[in-house]
Amino acid sequence: MLDIREGVSSFSILVKLHFLPNSKRDRWLNVLLDQSEVYFPQILESQVHWQRLQAGGLREGDGGPEWGLEHIRASEPIKSFFFSPRERVASFPEKLEPGETGRRILFGVKNCDLLPLKVHEQMFLQGDFKDTFYEARLRNTLFIAADCPEPADTCFCNLVGRRPFAEAEADIVLTVLEDGYLLEPLSDEGEESVRTGGDAIQPATEFQAAKRAEKRRAADSKLAKINPKPWADGLAQRIWDRSGEDGFWGKHAASCVECFGCLMTCPTCYCFLLYDKARAEGMDRSKVWDACYMAAYARVGGGANPRSEFLKRFVNRFQCKFTHFKNAHGFYACSGCGRCYRACMGKIDIRDVLGEV
Amino acid sequence: MANPYQPIEAQILKTIDETPTIRTFVLKPEQDVPFLAGQFVELTVPGHGEAPFTPSSSHFERETIEVTIMKVGRATTALFGLKAGDSVGIRGPYGQRYPLESFEGKDIYLVGGGVGLAPLRSLFLSLVHEIDKYRRVFLRYGARTPEEIVYKYLIPQWEKLKKVDIDLSVDVGDKSWVRKVGVVTCLMDDIPCDETSSIAVVCGPPVMMKFVTFKLVDAGFKPENIYLSMETNMSCGLGQCGHCRLGPYFTCKDGPVLTWEQIKDIPEPFV
Ligand SMILES: Cc1cc2nc3c(=O)[nH]c(=O)nc-3n(C[C@H](O)[C@H](O)[C@H](O)COP(=O)(O)OP(=O)(O)OC[C@H]3O[C@@H](n4cnc5c(N)ncnc54)[C@H](O)[C@@H]3O)c2cc1C
Ligand code: SF4
Ligand code: SF4
Ligand code: FES
Repeated sequence: MLDIREGVSSFSILVKLHFLPNSKRDRWLNVLLDQSEVYFPQILESQVHWQRLQAGGLREGDGGPEWGLEHIRASEPIKSFFFSPRERVASFPEKLEPGETGRRILFGVKNCDLLPLKVHEQMFLQGDFKDTFYEARLRNTLFIAADCPEPADTCFCNLVGRRPFAEAEADIVLTVLEDGYLLEPLSDEGEESVRTGGDAIQPATEFQAAKRAEKRRAADSKLAKINPKPWADGLAQRIWDRSGEDGFWGKHAASCVECFGCLMTCPTCYCFLLYDKARAEGMDRSKVWDACYMAAYARVGGGANPRSEFLKRFVNRFQCKFTHFKNAHGFYACSGCGRCYRACMGKIDIRDVLGEV
Repeated sequence: MANPYQPIEAQILKTIDETPTIRTFVLKPEQDVPFLAGQFVELTVPGHGEAPFTPSSSHFERETIEVTIMKVGRATTALFGLKAGDSVGIRGPYGQRYPLESFEGKDIYLVGGGVGLAPLRSLFLSLVHEIDKYRRVFLRYGARTPEEIVYKYLIPQWEKLKKVDIDLSVDVGDKSWVRKVGVVTCLMDDIPCDETSSIAVVCGPPVMMKFVTFKLVDAGFKPENIYLSMETNMSCGLGQCGHCRLGPYFTCKDGPVLTWEQIKDIPEPFV
């Protein structure tokens, strides 16, 4: 391991960097596969999707899966690993408790998929009542983040104050170099996991560390070109203050067809519904993803609905993510991943709304 | 660590028909559900869904929990099909209790409409249980018709309690009705307590809550002394699912009772 002082002259931070040469990659992956289920970003028809890595399927190129470590985030948000779209969480009259969960490694998570974990931590784990199903899976997962050297034009993590690579929140952060991978452990479990690589993983050199810094700088400047203009200060308050301006919101919502794709694909959205299904005797209760754009979302018993008009639901989404969550927890419930824009049939770019409000 | 979505079983010991569409269910949960006035529970009607209700019994009563429920939709209709001996599921208690310690020594002015008297009854009974701690308790209650008044059989007993003052109105009277006729705000034309220090607590249908709140503010009640029972849509009751959002609040976690001070800047808080 090499301790490297990284940064400009005014301040420097100590980083511990390791190097895994390409030729030894599979040795380490096999060790990981022995201990855990490993999931990796696979390129399928030019999109990235999470796939389970099979022990026999390590070979790249001919017949093997094409890895997308340097691509932007996968199409699916990683929340599905902990907070499934539909999961049985209770039953009656007999009682249900969370089952055992196996250990998992998510190999190649992007920084914009780490922020949602902080959002869900606030919603599911920090209150008086914990989502024990979520917690069991989260605590049994190792996160290996991967830098984004090529941000896409849908990416705007820089606008929410983040960078195209992880600096915390993961267990290990990985940078792809030509001849191998740089690994920086960010947690004790990360260190431990790197150690399991044995002599396949060596200390990194100054040159390799400099290479990483250079790649990261280039990625930062690409993002700065894609999104040159930061949001003006006071975004949270402006959204709240303008909530009644139907003209402004209506203009942006005009092409929405209410497919809810934006919310279903959003990594930070946490809404769910407890849905009971009758059995011959008793019931099963599922926790299913829900979306605040749905008309019945806020409807109360007897039929009254505070957000019966779509425009109110449209504004509510912005207030939830950018006003209330920010005021309560100090950061936006948006990671800048751009999935909502990608999913939108009406081509609504959330950046247009936020840049103009 | 307990599963927060899992209800426990509660047996229906007895049902009391209050009105043609409102019924009180006396429940015996398999374990204590230690609610305090202001908090609510989630009731599961097995196979028909779950819904939030505020108990209507005193929080000093620990053996059983009473809930008074109006039949409005899917879960409540199914619940009305159950009878003594049947089981329901219960989770809770959830939400915040009334800060009763800050009510001590003061006049407390309760205003209820329709089935909204149910949650207020829990507070009322808990207050009269320790009536010496409070100055006086006023209850103003309005229903649509005399038939639709809940707890008809209890109100005469309550009126005899010391330091308690009750007045009732109905929107439409009948031959036997000798008290006021009009919406509940007609009972509020002269409020017999010191508005600047007294506590008001309101529960009822949204329009009623709105007009009662305005009337209380006009009368001089301080916004932080007006407690409003906010019945938004709820699913989890735990502060996780997002459904109950009301401006910056999750009513299941921060409420369900919020003060006018907390919600007065939210556009259209009563729907
Ligand atoms: C804190 C609180 C305390 C309350 N206390 C009382 C009380 O003491 N007494 C009283 O009478 N009422 C009380 N209510 C109101 C009561 O909760 C509603 O009347 C009840 O939820 C109506 O349920 P329902 O299924 O019969 O009505 P519906 O109109 O059928 O359903 C109500 C809502 O539940 C959801 N829903 C229903 N079915 C499903 C389904 N299959 N899948 C998904 N969602 C569904 C929908 O969003 C629907 O809008 C209280 C409400 C709150 C929030
Ligand atoms: S938004 Fe940022 S972190 Fe996410 S994929 Fe794009 S560049 Fe990477
Ligand atoms: S709101 Fe859009 S950009 Fe922000 S986290 Fe959700 S999907 Fe990504
Ligand atoms: S009801 Fe789920 S957050 Fe309040």
